[in-house]
Amino acid sequence: MINVKGLKKSFGKLEVLKGIDENIKKGEKVVIIGPSGSGKSTFLRCLNLLETPTAGEIYFDGKEITHLHDREINLMRRRMGMVFQHFNLFPHLSIRKNITLAPVKLGIMSQAEADKKAAELLERVGLPDKANDYPARLSGGQKQRIAIARALAMNPEVMLFDEPTSALDPEMVGEVLELMKQLAADGMTMVVVTHEMGFAREVASRVIFMSDGYVVEQNTPDKFFTSPENQRLKDFLSKVL
Amino acid sequence: MDFIESFKQNFIENDRWTYLTDGLKTTLFITFFSVIIGMVLGFIVAVIRSTYLRTGKLLIPDLLCRLYLTVIRGTPVVVQLLIIYFVIFASVPISKTLVAVIAFGINSGAYVAEIVRGGIMAVDNGQLEAGRSLGLDYRQTMISIVLPQAFRTVLPALANECIVLLKETSVAGYIAIADLTKGGDIIRSQTFSAFLPLIAVAVIYLVMVVVLTKLVSILERRLAANDKR
Repeated sequence: MINVKGLKKSFGKLEVLKGIDENIKKGEKVVIIGPSGSGKSTFLRCLNLLETPTAGEIYFDGKEITHLHDREINLMRRRMGMVFQHFNLFPHLSIRKNITLAPVKLGIMSQAEADKKAAELLERVGLPDKANDYPARLSGGQKQRIAIARALAMNPEVMLFDEPTSALDPEMVGEVLELMKQLAADGMTMVVVTHEMGFAREVASRVIFMSDGYVVEQNTPDKFFTSPENQRLKDFLSKVL
Repeated sequence: MDFIESFKQNFIENDRWTYLTDGLKTTLFITFFSVIIGMVLGFIVAVIRSTYLRTGKLLIPDLLCRLYLTVIRGTPVVVQLLIIYFVIFASVPISKTLVAVIAFGINSGAYVAEIVRGGIMAVDNGQLEAGRSLGLDYRQTMISIVLPQAFRTVLPALANECIVLLKETSVAGYIAIADLTKGGDIIRSQTFSAFLPLIAVAVIYLVMVVVLTKLVSILERRLAANDKR
């Protein structure tokens, strides 16, 4: 579904991604882990072109996307949902409006259809009574669940998660991970950058370890955690497990 | 001459008070319409400037905007008014009041632009990214997500800019517009007494500014309370 070839990204003189090749298949749940500064978030943000790659190619459903025009990029982004570390809910809009804004503005749904969809999604993320509240009234965990609902409102084919639980108080991590597990069980293709090793072990179909701008090792979660080969991965796992 | 006699002479005789009321009407007219021009112009310039600063697009419009800001903020408003009246519209038959509206509008736009740009830049970049990641284009994200938040932030500063503009229009007399200030001055030239007419003018400005400032602070409190909803 997503094929990445020779992906490089530099910020000024700093080279963050030094050549990544990766294939993500439909229905896969890919979890990316690695030390901070290893380029995992940048890699994820390149997939929907929030960052413009310096070199390399990205194919989405067989179509090269790095050289698309803005209009086509916008169409491509509708099919990829993204969830951010800091939620990025729209504070001036009600929860319902947060969820319905994009589908309505883009002419995909009428306001009534979108409202109905929002109600379904709120039910699904376990917050059916929050439609008229504003983001400031919600806890971190609730905000992130709404952010997931907002992304799902576009009926995406892939969901990208950029450290979705890193900004949460520990007691709220569980509710967000639970929702992500549900989503995985429903067959959503997911790419998740996270520090939650438990989630990786339980949900991932494949775990990728990034270090210093490269994919250093990848494997099924079973083998990845029990018999890591690369020394840097061993060091990393010994610190986080 | 005692106070009452002086008061009668300056304001009652020959209906001289109408200089002040007519002048006040002119002042409010000029202020109102130049505020509108200033807001529209300021928002456009602010959007161009912040788009350039964030995305690197619109380089040429941005250069023009920067030139506009530099010239307008770097020269006195009286000089701008005189140039617009005596140079730009020299051979065009156009009402002086309209010239003043244009001049003060253009002047105010420069200050509004920088206020609004500050507000736009203060909106977290994550808001823009969230909008874009949903497939909205830059314009839609700007209009539906960034500008409403920026507007809330800068509303008090914008209201203050209106108050400043109200006082700044007092130089309209330079192109012989009978605004409030000029009205007081005309009375002074007829009665040869300076104190009462000028103090009256000052008091009228002061009352308007105090009332408007009070309204702005109520607005600020409302906004702060709304943020906690």
